[in-house]
Amino acid sequence: MRRYIVQRLLQGVFLVLIVTTIVFFLGRLTGNPADMVLPEDASEEDRQEMIETLGLDGPVHTQFFIFMGNALQGDLGLSIRYRQPAAEVFFSRLPNTMKIVPATMIVALVLAIPLGILSALRRGSVTDRFSGAIAVLGIATPNFWLGILLIYLFSVQLGWLPSARMGGFTHYILPTITLGTFLVAGFMRLIRSSMLEILDSEFVKLARIKGLSEFKVIWKHCLRNALIPVLSLWGVFMGGLVTGAIVTETVFAWPGVGRLTYEAVIFRDFPLLQAVIIMDAILILFINLLVDILYAYVDPRIRYT
Amino acid sequence: MTHRGPFFGWLFSLLLTVFIWVPLPSAADQEGTLVIALDTLGGQTMDPILEGRAPHAHYQAPVFDALVGFNFEKGGIGPGVAERWELADDGQSWTFYLQKGLKWHNGDSLTAHDVKFSLERTMTKESLASRASALRRNVKKIEVIDDHTVQIFTNGVQVHFPASMSRAVFQEGQLMPKKYIEKVGVKEFRKNPVGSGPWKFVRSVQGDRIEYEAVDHPHWRGKPNFKKLVILLVPEESTRVAMVRTGEAAIASISPESLQEVEVAKLKVVSVPSTMQAVYQFWGAYRSEFAKSPIADKRVREALSLAIDRQSIIDHVMYGQASWPMPFATFGYSSDIDTARWQAWGKKALRYDPARAKQLLSEAGYPNGFDLNFANTALPGTPYMTQIGVAVADFWNKIGVKVKIKHYEWGAFRLLYRGDQKKLAGHTSMFRTAGRPVAAARYYGGFHSKGGHHLFGSKTDCPQRCQDFDNLHLSLVAEQDDAKRAQKTDKMLEMVADSWMAVPIIEGKGYWAVNPKKVGHFKPIPGRHEFGDVFERMPLPGQKAWP
Repeated sequence: MRRYIVQRLLQGVFLVLIVTTIVFFLGRLTGNPADMVLPEDASEEDRQEMIETLGLDGPVHTQFFIFMGNALQGDLGLSIRYRQPAAEVFFSRLPNTMKIVPATMIVALVLAIPLGILSALRRGSVTDRFSGAIAVLGIATPNFWLGILLIYLFSVQLGWLPSARMGGFTHYILPTITLGTFLVAGFMRLIRSSMLEILDSEFVKLARIKGLSEFKVIWKHCLRNALIPVLSLWGVFMGGLVTGAIVTETVFAWPGVGRLTYEAVIFRDFPLLQAVIIMDAILILFINLLVDILYAYVDPRIRYT
Repeated sequence: MTHRGPFFGWLFSLLLTVFIWVPLPSAADQEGTLVIALDTLGGQTMDPILEGRAPHAHYQAPVFDALVGFNFEKGGIGPGVAERWELADDGQSWTFYLQKGLKWHNGDSLTAHDVKFSLERTMTKESLASRASALRRNVKKIEVIDDHTVQIFTNGVQVHFPASMSRAVFQEGQLMPKKYIEKVGVKEFRKNPVGSGPWKFVRSVQGDRIEYEAVDHPHWRGKPNFKKLVILLVPEESTRVAMVRTGEAAIASISPESLQEVEVAKLKVVSVPSTMQAVYQFWGAYRSEFAKSPIADKRVREALSLAIDRQSIIDHVMYGQASWPMPFATFGYSSDIDTARWQAWGKKALRYDPARAKQLLSEAGYPNGFDLNFANTALPGTPYMTQIGVAVADFWNKIGVKVKIKHYEWGAFRLLYRGDQKKLAGHTSMFRTAGRPVAAARYYGGFHSKGGHHLFGSKTDCPQRCQDFDNLHLSLVAEQDDAKRAQKTDKMLEMVADSWMAVPIIEGKGYWAVNPKKVGHFKPIPGRHEFGDVFERMPLPGQKAWP
């Protein structure tokens, strides 16, 4: 296992280097931050001076080697917009995202697991159809729209919850529901289909023949096996939530990493964009590694050499 | 025997009356928190030299005063930290006379040394201020005459220099405390900025909010009625409107799309007049390769203007919250222009007359129209420009012009008009001009051969009209005689208006949703969308009722 982890980490370093190179060059094709700082009618002379001020005046390949040299020493450059070390800006926003992601994940799993099992056990029943409808709705509803709808209902009309921003417990409810709806739907459908497959398998029949209680058969034997594909999806969702909660963070004015990424793109803040994507890539690599390790725990047949 | 008794009794009564009826300003008068929800906080930095764009006038303005201020009623410039200024007889320097008794928030006196320090700091290579490089070119040296007088020597005559020191135009005039920065260093200043404005900085949480506290003494910009000010960053407009409806925020920036919702919710709409002008313009039409192109023909360009029903755009795209435009980059508060004349020009020349448009197209040899490439884009802060662009294209289609419309994200569009403008030459595009009191600066950017857009010609390819414009502009910005400068400004406006090369569509406003239970009635500054210089004049809800 240790050898496997070291191997994955080395592969990760290689992947991060590739990602960094792609982001560095692609980002520069889309515009110049000097244009976002200067007035729209600024002269070419003003523009050149601003480009020099921002340190973007050298050839791109020279800038790349300077960036890589500094990055290897842990310096990801200065955010053009905030004039602070880009990594520092990223880490100032990461805790905000990390406050909402686990809450969302817990809510999603707490709802999805029982609903998925129930749907599988009562296949074709009203419960199954109702869960299916919820799943379709959850997947099809744009969370942008859902978020605004929830704000309108619970904040504006009923006055029960705050509209947006970070704060106490009540501030988490609407963003968590908005982010979690898609997850509940995804997890639920996967658990249902996985459970259906397992309920039909020989070892479950054997367990029932041996006289094990239905509760034990479902929750101990079936669920553990049904969770293996869920774990993969969990890894994908987790990465997506950390880096891609842009819409929810925007609707609820939540100053997290997703919104920071969006701002870096719009402002052409290359150093910040590079830092965010590198950090996100590292984070996703770790999440995937964690999923692989958890696989071995959930399914003893899986052994890494 | 003296008769002091009745005198002192009378004096005592008078003082008592004064104390009862005229409460002296005190910290206790100020109460509550004014919460503002904004779509952007820009770079969210409290160092004035690190913010390049308009949000500085939202969030830096409460803390920092500017050398030149506003004309609060009409818009444009007025007294600031400098109560007056004058141009030297030879035109080579400006002398600014500062108000006496001004203090920084740490108690130090604000002097001419601070002004010199601030401008020199803004001119450094480190500065991201949008006109820092222009300032470097324009300013030769700065001399402190005494604690309240500073003389700025310019390279050549710069008649519009004071305007560039006002937040009505740009942020370069913002003042920073010399002694404090030299004592604590730049890093500490950025963390704990000290200004001289009516609000003291308290805290900045990046990506979320900035908090301020009102000064508790009278301030030349006005003593704040609220005790605290919080500016929130809420990027989504629906959320901002919801926050105003629930009272979580008193005021929020909105776009015209939200006006109906705001009115239905019985909130108030504050429209800041003359904050922008939406225009369309023809790129590279002066080039020889486009000599036979329809857009090189002035009649065609005029026909395209006559085909646009501006009132319809004002009523339906802007929900009635826009005005009929004046000539390119001019507003009611523009300096050096004959406002009445140009307003009348706008009404007549920018009329909707599709019959005349078709006639002009026929005269130009295009009775069945032609293909027109149209780049549609929206500049930051004015997303509704895209809808205006679509409406304009529809009007052109109606007179037979086959418009090929392509939509661009703003950052991507900016790349197109840099350098040789190869990809944009021969195209028409949407554009905008911000509400600024001095038209000449915007005309330089638009039409001068060295300007960013150079619509009349470039440095290497400058036809007659381009040369004429360059000469006129050069003589205008150096003209010290007010009457002659006004004449030259009129001539510049005529030249551009007559070319139909950059044509105004509508004059836009800045839109705000206001919860009347959270803030009393206030008036914005014409032309300045941002409220950084208005917060201190906003009354408490009970102080001034909304009409």
